This record gives sequence, structure tokens and C-alpha cells, in this order.
Amino acid sequence: MFRKYRKKSPWILHYNAGSCNGCDIEILAALAPKYDLERFGVINTGNPKQSDIFLVTGPVTFRSRERLVELYTQMPEPKVVIALGSCTCTGGVFRDMYNVEDGIDRYIPVDVYVPGCAASPELLIDGVVKALEILEEKTKAIEKPFRLFKEASSENGIINRRHSALKVGEKDEED
Amino acid sequence: MIEVMLILFAPLIGGLMYGFERVLRARMQNRKGPPLLQPFYDMYKLLDKQAFIINPYHTVLGIMHFLTLWTVVAFMIFGQNLLYIIFLHLLSVIFIILAGFSVNSVYSHVGANRELLSALAYEPILIIVAVGFFMMHGSFDISVIRQNSASIVPLFLLFLAFLLLIPLKLKKSPFDAAEAHQEIVGGVEIEFSGVYFEFIYIAKWLEYVFVYLLLVLFAGNNAVLGTVLFLGVFLLVNLVDNATARIKMKHVIQIVLGIALTLGLLNLAGLSYV
Repeated sequence: MFRKYRKKSPWILHYNAGSCNGCDIEILAALAPKYDLERFGVINTGNPKQSDIFLVTGPVTFRSRERLVELYTQMPEPKVVIALGSCTCTGGVFRDMYNVEDGIDRYIPVDVYVPGCAASPELLIDGVVKALEILEEKTKAIEKPFRLFKEASSENGIINRRHSALKVGEKDEED
Repeated sequence: MIEVMLILFAPLIGGLMYGFERVLRARMQNRKGPPLLQPFYDMYKLLDKQAFIINPYHTVLGIMHFLTLWTVVAFMIFGQNLLYIIFLHLLSVIFIILAGFSVNSVYSHVGANRELLSALAYEPILIIVAVGFFMMHGSFDISVIRQNSASIVPLFLLFLAFLLLIPLKLKKSPFDAAEAHQEIVGGVEIEFSGVYFEFIYIAKWLEYVFVYLLLVLFAGNNAVLGTVLFLGVFLLVNLVDNATARIKMKHVIQIVLGIALTLGLLNLAGLSYV
């Protein structure tokens, strides 16, 4: 009954992984009176332990990658990662530079890519809405039990599960 | 019976107040703002989140903070001794300070330090307010204070001192250095997550109920004056919150102890001569 209220309170953790501040200003613009993301319940918390959406800007610089992974691991499940801006998706204009790691998906799994240099507030809002759908799916997936193995096969009286492991995304036959 | 219901629904009332405040602040900034029930949506979402336990004492102290604060609100609604309530409230603050010091996070330590300093600043004034009520009505019992007529005129300086204290207690600008979301990320509440953060979140709502219940004591048995006081102060506190910037903890203590304590003592001295 209350399922639909689950996605009404996304709290955002914003991390600047060496961005030029262009995308960060667009985030502020999205939170400011004109677009007012808070009317959807979005709060920019700044605390990884209480947030749902990890909003990263900037190509990952050499210095910031450890913090990036650390912040990602400090966020409780379910969580969604948004890569905001061209740099964050692919490295952008900084691609192949010696101090840049070409996008965050080398280090953490990304759910939504929002391109643009800088990404406009409208695109950011679209990205957050998409992220909320993914967040809802992830919340459901956590509740649902799943199996790691199919039925164990037995050959000559020896029970063997080595070949019965389910691959990622593969459905169990009983489903 | 109605008192028991009020106590049970005190967190809900606090949540509604917090939601209304968020809408009000958004309107003051020319924004649309979140829906009124937004705090409850937050609570519902936090139920689903994974909870990290840093250490058991930290978590238990957080829950104790919430339970003690609820007891404080319950005693206020039942009309118990005001002095006892103020000291019990101090106990709940001490629980959250201990929780802040029980983890290794630097932000948590800074937040707990500032919480302790702000407790140092407002506790004397709360006690002076209680003494003022005692000198007016001859009793510390809230039920007696509620039966007598409004005491805001003889206690006007104390009322002003209490007004200074409300932003400090509710962690609003300019006295929100103890929470300071932009610099120390919430202070003591930083290491709480998932279900355990909910207790801290509800405790924040109960703090609203506590402060405004104390405020309406100035109106005595006059319900209309109480409502006017509540609405006016609610608007004023939010207006000040929107219009001012954060000041340093040192200045918070100087302002609160310097101005509010002086006002309170002046009022007490005046009362003793009359």
C-alpha cells in the first residue's frame, strides 16, 4: 500500500571528483528556486551514511579516486550512482590526460549517465527521475530472495554443485 | 485519556510541525517546497535502508536520547515538575553527546563538543525560566502554571531570553553551529544510518514539541494567547533562520550567556523586589 511513497525521499550525496565546478553550479541551480528539486523531497545531505543517490561530477583525478570508492562503500544499500557531465561519463575533454582516470565507471558501477558540458538542470532532473526508477527496482530486488545455485547434480554418489552456479542475470528454472 | 493520546502522537505532531516548517521556509525563499508529509516519507524510506552499526553503545545511546526526550515530552503533557523536566532534558542531551564521542569520526567529535557548549549556554537560562515561573506561581508544577493566568507581562524579559534560546535549541540559524550541515555534516548525527537514524530524526521532532510546549507555558491558561504566541514565534524563528548566517560557537555562547542570562537575572531581581 505504501510502496509508491518509497521513492519520494531521495537524499543526494554530491561528490566533486576534480570537476571544473561547471556541473556543480548546475546542481545548485537545480536546488535553487527556479527548478526547486526539494519539492520532490530531494535533500543535498553531504553525509554518505544517510543518502540514496551518489551524484558525481568531474573526471576522476588521480587524487580523488580513493575518496570516490570510499564514499561509495560508505553508502548503505540500496543506492544509485549518477555520473553527471561528460567528464564523469567518459573523461570528456580531459580524456587520456596523465592525471585523469577517464570517468568514474572504472572504479564504481554507474546506473545513470547524464552527458553534457555542463549538464543542464533539466537533464539533471531527468537523470534523478531515472535514478529513482532504478532505486525502486533495486529496493525490490533486495527484498526478493534469490538463489546462487541450481539443483546440485550427483554423479556416482558424489554431490557436485560446481557446474550448477547461476550466471549473473540467469533465471532459475523454478521461477 | 487525552493526555495519553497526545503523548503517543507527540512524534507525529512534531513531524507535522517539521514538515510545515520546511514548506514555510521554501515559501519564504520563493520556492514551492516539499509536500507537508515529507518527513514521514523520509522516515518510510529510511526503514528500507541498510543500517551500519559503528559500535553498540553509539546506537543504544542514540535510542536512549530519543526515549528520554519522549519521556520529557510525556512529563510536560502530564503537567509534572518543571525543574525535573529540565534536568531530564539535560540527560537526553548528555546521551546524544556521549553518542557523538563514542565513535572515531572527527565531525562527530566536533559536533558533540559544540552540543556540549550549547548545553552550557542554554541550561542556566532554562533553569532561570523555571525559577521565574516559581516566583510567579509559587510552584514548579506545570499543571499549576497552566491553571494560573498568563505570566508573559511580568516575565517579559525572561520571555525574550527564551526567544533567544529557541534557535539554539532547534539548531536554526544563526545559532546552528552545533549541527552545521555545510561544515561538519550534521555533527553528532553523522554516524547514524538507516533505522537508527530514524530515532535521531524523531528526536529532532520531539525537540520541537518540547520547546513549543515550554513556550506556551508563558500564556498560562489563556488558550488564545498560547496559540498566538506559538504561531508568532514559529514564524519569527523561521524568518530569522532564513535571514541570518551562521555565527561561531564562541559568539553563540557570548550572545546567549551575555544577553539572555542578563535579561533573565534582571527579570528575577525585579520580581523579587515587587
